[in-house]
Amino acid sequence: MNNYLEVRNLSKSFEGFRLHDITFTLPKGYIMGLIGPNGSGKTTTIKLILNMLKRTGGEVKVLGFDNIADEQEAKRNSGVVFDSSYFSDEWKISQVEKSVSAFYENWDTQKFSEILEKFHIQPSKKVKELSKGMQMKLMLACAFSYDAKLLILDEPTSGLDPVSRDELLHILSEYIEDGGHSVLFSTHITEDLERAADYITYISYGELFFSGRKDEFVDSFRIVKGGCEELSAELRKKMTGIRIFSTGFEALVKTGDLKQFAHLNVEPASIDDIVVFTGRKGGQYE
Amino acid sequence: MNNIWKAVKLDFSLVKPYVKTICFTMILPVVFVVVNRSLLTGISFAMCFTAMTTGYTFSITEKNSMERLYGILPIRKSDMVIGRYIFIIIMGLTALIFSLAVHPVILTILGETISKFDFINAAAIGIFLFALYTVFQLPGYYKLGSIKGRVFMYIPVAGFLITLLLITKIPVSESRLLLTVINSPVLLMLSAVIFVAAMYTVSILVSIKILKNKEM
Amino acid sequence: MKLILSNISGVPIYEQIKQQVKSAIMSGDLQTGETLPSLRTLAKELKISVLTVTRAYTELEQEGFVKNIQGRGCFVLGQGSELLREQLICKIENNLSEAISAARVASLSEEELHHLLSILMEEKIDE
Repeated sequence: MNNYLEVRNLSKSFEGFRLHDITFTLPKGYIMGLIGPNGSGKTTTIKLILNMLKRTGGEVKVLGFDNIADEQEAKRNSGVVFDSSYFSDEWKISQVEKSVSAFYENWDTQKFSEILEKFHIQPSKKVKELSKGMQMKLMLACAFSYDAKLLILDEPTSGLDPVSRDELLHILSEYIEDGGHSVLFSTHITEDLERAADYITYISYGELFFSGRKDEFVDSFRIVKGGCEELSAELRKKMTGIRIFSTGFEALVKTGDLKQFAHLNVEPASIDDIVVFTGRKGGQYE
Repeated sequence: MNNIWKAVKLDFSLVKPYVKTICFTMILPVVFVVVNRSLLTGISFAMCFTAMTTGYTFSITEKNSMERLYGILPIRKSDMVIGRYIFIIIMGLTALIFSLAVHPVILTILGETISKFDFINAAAIGIFLFALYTVFQLPGYYKLGSIKGRVFMYIPVAGFLITLLLITKIPVSESRLLLTVINSPVLLMLSAVIFVAAMYTVSILVSIKILKNKEM
Repeated sequence: MKLILSNISGVPIYEQIKQQVKSAIMSGDLQTGETLPSLRTLAKELKISVLTVTRAYTELEQEGFVKNIQGRGCFVLGQGSELLREQLICKIENNLSEAISAARVASLSEEELHHLLSILMEEKIDE
């Protein structure tokens, strides 16, 4: 099986919010970034994948297993990291292992203690004594100890210092190195994904904006800059998003339309640029 | 079945740091035994207090947002619920056995005599009371959580008071069926067990339904 | 082989990898038959996406610099290959045309340009 995660036409309606028709595929062996502004539906998507929320429509397959009909099989194969620990604060790390390991037949105690050592986590410490970064590593250590094939991370880097964020990226690239593991990584800190992600799924206001290769995503947009007098109404129509200030303007344009902007200063767009310029309705901000 | 036991063990590890508090609630009723000089009162209080601690698993889970852990573990929701009930029944039985062992000793020391009948009567009523409390509490906790569902913690208290009130008012002597049951220890025990089993079955089904519909 | 990636050069990362592998082949740092680092290992070490390295390696293969053998790695093809030479000549032509245009702007005569070239070549030999 080549796709570790398949999400098809996934929908969910809440009061005041609707996640609509989300479709994407994460192949085996790669990292996918799930991006979008806060409140765009990233966590909802993840909770739907985990069947923690009831979907209104669509289908989800984890390593080929239906996430509801074969829920247990799907969960045996996936590891999850949330933005904060989901273990009891009072548990010692050794107790965490005792409590959780029983649920996974292939739990490897030796591996768990090796990973703890590698992550510098003392088994005698209590969960509440760990820093945020350490708690994240503890959740990773658990997922690695039963060899989860698909790792799902929901905003793991929010509130982490740059060192921990860098460590996480390193851990993730090690994890997928053998080609047999995949990562779905939701974040609003797109810097994390700029280099390491292979695929990007961008959700905006509950709708799928893009899903595909990161290079393709970044390459399909450019940033153009110029003085206010260079901005015609015709050009403006072609722009995906624009920011005007007293001495000039900055705009996001589709690479396909680049010819018309050739006289302006053209730069490659970052993921952040794309999210910022497309994330606001109307595409303009001051 | 295997998964159910794993869930029971998980619950044990949840309350492990609070074992002292729970032990205290088992010992406290001894005071009432001394004051009241009645085994029935002691056991009733013991079961009532223990029932009040069943919210621990829920409040600890909530405090640590552990519904996310339950959400990712490869275990059916029904197994999780059954595990929780078994855990709570084990807690109740522990309290019952402890009280049935300790209270008569204290009463004997105080010079009271306890008949076999008193003993079995207290045991049956203890089981019945604990079941009566918990079958309401647990679905309440599942539905509303330990904070909003706190009102369910007082069900045991209310239930206890009502039971006390009713026990004296039931016209036992006028119903032949009741008389036969109460006067035969075997029948009394048997009917308590059957009644309790039926109550738990319904309660468990309700809780499973609540949890399955719950969004985390 | 040395690989250094810049985040601010504006050159896409796959392009940087390609260029540096090419110059390593030309300079002899990478010899015929040597293997490039494994795709996934390189991605891990450089903290870049696997697909970025895949793209660089695939394009290098398409351009005839390396040969990818399933399960065994990416092998460097001959340094003296016609293709490499052609590419080098092409590069020389481009750079010279640029020099000529610059010379025109600076109204440098053809003779002066030749002279400049010989001076530069002598300096290179001295090095």
